[in-house]
Amino acid sequence: MKSFEKTAIKLSSSSPSSLWLIFRTLLGVGLQSFGGGSSTFYLIHEACRRYDWMDEEEFVRSWALAQVTPGINLIKLTILIGNKLRGAAGIAAAVGGLLLPSVFITALMTAGYSAIRSLPIMKAILKGVLPAALGLSLAMGVQMAMPLLSRARGEGWMRLGISLGVILTAGLLLAWNATSPLVVLLLGGGVTAALFNFIPAHGGRDAS
Amino acid sequence: MNLWLFFWLFLKASLFTTGGLGNLPLLHRDLIGLGWASEEDFLTALAVGQVSPGPTGLWSISLGFLVGGWAGAGAAAVALSIPPLLVLALAAFYHRLEHLQIVQDFSRGLSLGVVGLAAAVSLGLAGSAISDWRGAAIALVALGLALSKRVPVILILAAAAVAGALIYGGG
Repeated sequence: MKSFEKTAIKLSSSSPSSLWLIFRTLLGVGLQSFGGGSSTFYLIHEACRRYDWMDEEEFVRSWALAQVTPGINLIKLTILIGNKLRGAAGIAAAVGGLLLPSVFITALMTAGYSAIRSLPIMKAILKGVLPAALGLSLAMGVQMAMPLLSRARGEGWMRLGISLGVILTAGLLLAWNATSPLVVLLLGGGVTAALFNFIPAHGGRDAS
Repeated sequence: MNLWLFFWLFLKASLFTTGGLGNLPLLHRDLIGLGWASEEDFLTALAVGQVSPGPTGLWSISLGFLVGGWAGAGAAAVALSIPPLLVLALAAFYHRLEHLQIVQDFSRGLSLGVVGLAAAVSLGLAGSAISDWRGAAIALVALGLALSKRVPVILILAAAAVAGALIYGGG
């Protein structure tokens, strides 16, 4: 099956890795994924399965690589998919397809919103939406923290304490305007790497 | 507004951070400092990013539009597309880097720092987002619903809009 598909890729322009199909598929994702990242992620995963672009293991590994490098994770995932299928041209087709419609619609929605935000009813609506947006961004913070904290917990209470300490210190340093966010991040990375070096993970007891 | 400085600020903010919201603290510091954006602009952009198609990280596009119109949105889109390319370098060296404990620990520390910064910025926005106890209640309900992962984000925001119209629209 695999070798048949590889041959088919070379022979036919409508194969699963044709540039047009990559572009068209990601264009569909960029048009349909209202609701932000989670629906985008879902649709990209769906496309990878439908066209056999990546198996589950490679998909998860790509997602992990995307977590630790700069920038928007879903763009990095899209880059890795495009690169695997067709190299540089694949990256251009995939990222272009994803971003062209979604960037345009995002700007349009912002414009539409800006045009009506001075209306009295909009001000009332805003007083409801803004606190909700705040709640949502706090929820995202919690969701980002959970995998980091549960992993540290599995490695022992000391490492959980260090992790919580780094989060808290980073937040306080920013709140007090003590230093630039970038310095805070680099300090966080350095301190964590140094302390984890002295306090080895003891997964045995907690894992059992 | 200087478009090149604008471009550099957006590029820098996502070049040194991870994730779609990682650039929030840096952009917040720089754009508020320059007087180019207001707290309300940030809240608006974050809300639009949650409902518009594509990655939630496209909230930066919305912010770019609020600060610099279509040119701002375009410049932000280009700036956001460049840093993710570095993932290719990591993918190439993946097998070597994977076994270096210090690399793993450092990147975990970066992520922890991002969480702390994001939380601090969110809480810092509370002053301009929440006007009274009813606003605080809406924020808490939205937080709870988002964490339950049972309600689509777009429905949470729609419900909050209705609540706002009913509570504050009467007077």
